[in-house]
Amino acid sequence: MADIKFTKTHEWVKIENSIAIVGITDYAQSELGDIVFVELPSLGNKIAKNMPCATVESTKAASEVYAPLSGEVIEINSELNNNPQLINESPYDKGWLFKIKIANREEISQLMDKDIYKEFVEKESR
Amino acid sequence: MKEETNLQLKRTPLYPLHKKNYAKMVIFFNWEMPIEYEGILREAKNTRTHCTLFDVSHMGKIEIKGKKSLKFIQYLTTNNIERIKAFSLQYNLFINEEATIIDDFMIYKLEDGFLCVVNASNKDKVFRWLNSNKIDGVEIEDKSDDMALLSLQGPHSEAVIKKISSINVKRLKYMHFIYSKIDGVRCIISRSGYTGEDGFELYCSSKDAFNLWELITNGGKEYFLSFGGLGARDILRIEAGYPLYGHEINESINPIEASLRWVVKEREKDFMGREKILKIMNSFLSKKRIGFIMEDKGIARQDYCIYSKDKKNIGKVTSGTYSPNLNKFIGMGYIDGSYSDKQVYIEIRKKLYRAKIESFPFINIRTR
Repeated sequence: MADIKFTKTHEWVKIENSIAIVGITDYAQSELGDIVFVELPSLGNKIAKNMPCATVESTKAASEVYAPLSGEVIEINSELNNNPQLINESPYDKGWLFKIKIANREEISQLMDKDIYKEFVEKESR
Repeated sequence: MKEETNLQLKRTPLYPLHKKNYAKMVIFFNWEMPIEYEGILREAKNTRTHCTLFDVSHMGKIEIKGKKSLKFIQYLTTNNIERIKAFSLQYNLFINEEATIIDDFMIYKLEDGFLCVVNASNKDKVFRWLNSNKIDGVEIEDKSDDMALLSLQGPHSEAVIKKISSINVKRLKYMHFIYSKIDGVRCIISRSGYTGEDGFELYCSSKDAFNLWELITNGGKEYFLSFGGLGARDILRIEAGYPLYGHEINESINPIEASLRWVVKEREKDFMGREKILKIMNSFLSKKRIGFIMEDKGIARQDYCIYSKDKKNIGKVTSGTYSPNLNKFIGMGYIDGSYSDKQVYIEIRKKLYRAKIESFPFINIRTR
């Protein structure tokens, strides 16, 4: 998981060349509980960093997903329409949300590394 | 009146067991209660396929005794207390002069009085209300902290009770109860619940709660018993179409709007608010409680707006959830009393989602 970066709003980003894969973290899914519905951005949408671009709904609450990076949505995980609980079961793998073509690589440095995120979560859950 | 801001959170006698079983806790009207153990959806499903044990000891329990207790309760409630047979219970409502709902509750006819099981959120209010209307020959006692309440719900519940007790469980009909002892623990075993499934609610002394919980848990192992939290309880009661105080009913709603006409026995007795009820019955209903199933996927949550077929605002959602037993998104709300079409829209995050009005219950009620 070394190449994964994190946001303060509990998204993760996996960067593969010019493509970023986005999901929500294990901490986020466990706080939300059973996820029952996901609203993903449309293909081709241009999203800006920190803007709400998807919604994840659990039995308890609706939660916005904020864009960790700016870019264009090039793929969405349509499996989630029929099986949103993939996010609970496999938040870093099968439960990915969407892929974007990175518009501004400089934004990457503003994301957190794994260890810093881990510390951040420990503080927040205290 | 100002409430203390730094209120001490209350815990049921079973709190240590919930922690041991990795429950996620939530604050529910001053109570620290389990919201889930292994997942709300799994618990809600297991209740309809096998059985689930809930700790609902936070419910308020108020005993009313004395030779005038029947007369006293009869005047403050809408359902007919005289219809409660020995060893049975009844769903009932406290209403005020304006005919709006103070609380909904279950009333048990005990050997020497009545037991009202009221919403935890309303317990203090109801206790004050009863005392402010008290008449001679009536004693009112708050037994909430003395009694624990365990709710075992689901089609396998009968087998579990049969296994752990010596009662003739087949002969105990729904909405009836008996006094019994389970392995030395004195309890009231009531065949009732809030899920639409067959089930039992067991009342015991708080000090015995731990033992009773373990007895049921061990007896339930071979029947795939799971633990359930408030999350599953909420889904189950919505699936069954049951109102919840603070959502579907409150002090600005009357029983007729709430589709609780069947609980009002205005022809059989006099009661506070009866005149107002008669007026309401003779006039146009301004709003009504309805259930709906989403045709477009999405959770309709409390306070979301409901729109008519021609996209006029006609009401609000009071509860909404995903039903794992139906694999559908369902909810309840209030709409204009005159709206007769089945098609409505729910506004979710500024978009309109299609929904269809459906009659209650959403699931098949399997109480007997």
